[in-house]
Amino acid sequence: MKRSSILLVVALAVVLVLTWSFLALAQEETSELELQTAEAAFQAADKGNPDPAWQGQKFTIGVYSAGPRGAISGPLYFWRPFFEKLTGATYDIVEIPFGELREKIFTDLMTGTGYYDVIIGPSWFYGDYVSNGWIVPIDKYFDDPRMPKWDRDSILLPIRELLQWKGTWYGFNNDHDGQVLYYRRDILTDPKWQELFKQEKGYDLPVPPRTWEEVYDVCDFFNGKDWNGDGEKDYGITMHLKVGGQGFFHFMALSAPYVVSPAPGDDPTKVTRYHNVYWFDPETMEPLVDTPGFVEALKMLLKLSKTGPSAMWGWSLGEAWDAFLRGKAVLTFSWGDVGSLSQLPESSNIKGKLGVAPIPGSEKYYDLETQQWVNQRNFVANTVGASWHGVISKFSKKQDLAAYFLSWQATPEINHWNVVWGWTGIDPGTLYDLLKPTGYADIEDYVQTGYDAEDARQFVTAYEEMWYKYPLRQAYLRIPGTPEYWEVWDIHLSEAVVGQVSPEEALRRTKEDWNAITDRLGRENQKKIYQEAIGYVPEK
Amino acid sequence: MKERGSFFVVPGIVWVLLFTIFPLVYSFRVSLSRVAYGRITGFAGLANYARMFQDYRFWGVLGFTLIFVIFSVAITVSLGLLLALVFNRKMRGLRFFRALMTTPLFTAPVALGYLGVMMFYEENGPINILLQTLGFSKVPWLSDIFWARTAVIMVDVWQWTPFAFIILLAGLQSLPDEVYEAAVLDTSSGWDIFRYITFPMISPVLGTVIMLRLVDAFKVFDIPFALTNGGPGTATRTLTFYVYTQGLRNFDLGYASAMAYFLMFMSLAVGIFFFRRYRSLYE
Repeated sequence: MKRSSILLVVALAVVLVLTWSFLALAQEETSELELQTAEAAFQAADKGNPDPAWQGQKFTIGVYSAGPRGAISGPLYFWRPFFEKLTGATYDIVEIPFGELREKIFTDLMTGTGYYDVIIGPSWFYGDYVSNGWIVPIDKYFDDPRMPKWDRDSILLPIRELLQWKGTWYGFNNDHDGQVLYYRRDILTDPKWQELFKQEKGYDLPVPPRTWEEVYDVCDFFNGKDWNGDGEKDYGITMHLKVGGQGFFHFMALSAPYVVSPAPGDDPTKVTRYHNVYWFDPETMEPLVDTPGFVEALKMLLKLSKTGPSAMWGWSLGEAWDAFLRGKAVLTFSWGDVGSLSQLPESSNIKGKLGVAPIPGSEKYYDLETQQWVNQRNFVANTVGASWHGVISKFSKKQDLAAYFLSWQATPEINHWNVVWGWTGIDPGTLYDLLKPTGYADIEDYVQTGYDAEDARQFVTAYEEMWYKYPLRQAYLRIPGTPEYWEVWDIHLSEAVVGQVSPEEALRRTKEDWNAITDRLGRENQKKIYQEAIGYVPEK
Repeated sequence: MKERGSFFVVPGIVWVLLFTIFPLVYSFRVSLSRVAYGRITGFAGLANYARMFQDYRFWGVLGFTLIFVIFSVAITVSLGLLLALVFNRKMRGLRFFRALMTTPLFTAPVALGYLGVMMFYEENGPINILLQTLGFSKVPWLSDIFWARTAVIMVDVWQWTPFAFIILLAGLQSLPDEVYEAAVLDTSSGWDIFRYITFPMISPVLGTVIMLRLVDAFKVFDIPFALTNGGPGTATRTLTFYVYTQGLRNFDLGYASAMAYFLMFMSLAVGIFFFRRYRSLYE
C-alpha cells in the first residue's frame, strides 16, 4: 500500500472517530427524563389532522443561531423527529447569527426569494413585516381542522398583543420576553449584611429592591465587598453594555417608569398624546428620547454601571449572565433565560439562592403634559426583548405545512415543555406556565426538570406580578425601521456609558438620528403606523 | 491565428464587465438615488454625497479609519522588516521558524477577531492574567476607547506582520552578496550598511508591501466587527463597517454607495500620491 493511501485511511478513521464522538456527546446531552416528558407532551398535545399530501415535503425555517442545544434554535432540532413521525414531512433549520438576522431575512423578503418559509424572529420586525405585506395573517388557520389547536387566550396580554397587528394574528405562540430583576436571595436576606446595610445607608435593606433608587443603593453597598467569601472583591450589578450586545434593552426596561406616565381619569392605561407613550409624540413623530425622564434614567444607568465590573462595558449577554450565575454579582436584570440558566449545574452555582422580582419602578416620573416631575412611585411592565416566535413568509409555497408546524409547537403541552426545560431559551408567559391559582401549572412541573422549588416559585411569580399586576405597560416599538432606530440608540448609549459624550448629548444625537430615519422613511407614514401600533386614536 | 487569439480574451473581458465595471457603474447610479428596501425610488442628485459632510458619524469613523491605517501599516511594516533582518542569515531551524511565523496569515480575520475577544477578555483573559503576573494592573482592553483601539490595531498587526516579513525576507535574500562583501571593507557599522545599502536596495519591495498594506487597511472590517463590534461607542467603527451597516443592515443603499465611492477615491488618491513620492525618491 502506498504511503499516501495509508495516510488517507488514517485521516478517514480520525474523522469517523471524531464524528462519532461528537454525535455521542450530542446524544448524551438529551436525558432520559427529557425524552420521557417530551413523549408525554407529544402524546397529550392536540395534533389536528395532518394532510396526507404533506408527506415527503420539506420546508425551511430561518432562526436565530444558537445551535442544536441552544436558545430558540435548540427546540427546533429536538422536536424535528416528532414532527417527521407525525406528518411524514420535515424541515431544514437555517441558523442566522443575531447580528445578521436583519440583512438575511429582509433581503430574502425584499427580493421575494422565499428561501425561508418560516421565520422565527424577533417582534421588532413587525413594522417592516406588516407595512410591506411580507408575512401572512394566520386567523384562517384557527378553524382549519387540519391544524392543532392552541390556546391564544392563555397567552398573557402584553405578549399576545405582540403576535397581532390591529387585531389580526400574524405570529404563533412561542417565547415570551420581558426583563425582571434577579438577585441573590441568600445574601440579601442574610442578617449580617442587612445590619451593615442599615448602618451604611440608613434604612432597611429592601428585599427585593422595588425601585431603581433602591437597586442602586443595594448595588453600591455590595460592590467591592467580598460578600461571597471567595477571598476576592465582588460586584454589585452585572449588565451587558457592549455595542451590539443588546444593552439598550437594559436602558429600555430601566427608563420606562421615568418616562411612561399614567393617564388622568378613570383609565390610567389610556394612550393619549402625553400618557402611556414612550417612543414618539404620536401627533408629530417627534422623538421623546431627550425628554427629562430619559435623561434621568440614563444618569441612573451610568450610576449603576459604576457598581459593577468596568469590563461589562464590553460585555454581551453571555458574559453578563455568567458573572451573576458564577456568583460574582449580587444582582442583575434580564430575561427569563437567567432564571432557567441559574438552575443548570454546568452554568451556575447559585441554584437555591435565587431571588426574582418584577422589574423595579422609579421614585418619580416625568409628566409630559405638565412638563413637571411627579414625586410618586411608578411601575411599568415591559416586554423588552425579542419574544422569538414564528411567522410565515408571503413567498412560501408551503404555507399550510408551515402553519401546521407552528400551531403544533404553540400547543400548551409542547410550549410548556419548552418553557420548563430551560436550555430551550423559551421563557414563561402563558397561563399554563404560571402557578395555580392564577395559572394552571404546579411547582412540580419545574422541580421535575431540575428547578429548586423556591427559585422556580420566585421566577414564575415575578413574571405573573409584572404582566398581571403592574398598573402600566411600556409600548413596544413596531414601526418600519425599528432595528435601525434601535441600532443608533444602542451606539449613542454606549457613547454615553464609556464617557465619549454626556448623557444629554447621547440622547440629543439619538433624537437627531431618529428624526433623520423618520424623514427618510416618510414621517406621515411612520406616524400612521406608530399610532396603529400603540393604539393611539388622534384627538379631534 | 490572431483572431483566434482574441477569442481567448473574451472571457476575461466578460468577467471584468460583469464583476467590475457593471457593479461600479450600478453602485454609482445607486449613490445618486433614493433607495428604500433595496429598490430605487427616485433621483437624489448629490444629496447622498452632501449628507456625508453633515454626518458627524461619518467623520468619526473616517477619523478612526485613518488612525488605524497609519498605525497598523507603520507597525506591521516596521516589525516585518525587523524580523526579516533578524531571520536573514544562516541559522538552524530557519524554515521551521519561518513557517511558524506565517501561521496568523492563514487565519480568517473574523476568526482572529473572535480569538481576540478571548485573549483580551478583561476579567480573566490570558493577556490580563499575564500582565497581572508581571505586576501590572488589568487593562480595560474592550471597554475603554484608547485600549479598544489599541486592541484592534494589535490584532491586525498580529495577522499582517508575517506578510510583511515574508515579502521583505525574500527581498533581502535576493540582494547580491558581493555588495555586502565590498561594504564590509569600507565600514564596520551595521547601521551604515543597513542605511546606505540594504534599505535603498529593498525599497522597491518595501514600497510594494506598504502599498498592499495600505489598500488592505483601508478596507478593514472583520477584526473590529468581531472584536469590538465597533465599540465602545463608535470608537472602533471603521468606514467599511459603517458602509456595511448603512447598506446591508439599514438598507440605506444610496448613502452606503456614496460612502463606498468616497472610500474608493480616498484609497486611490493615497495610493497614487504614495507611488509618485516613492518613485521620485528612488528612481
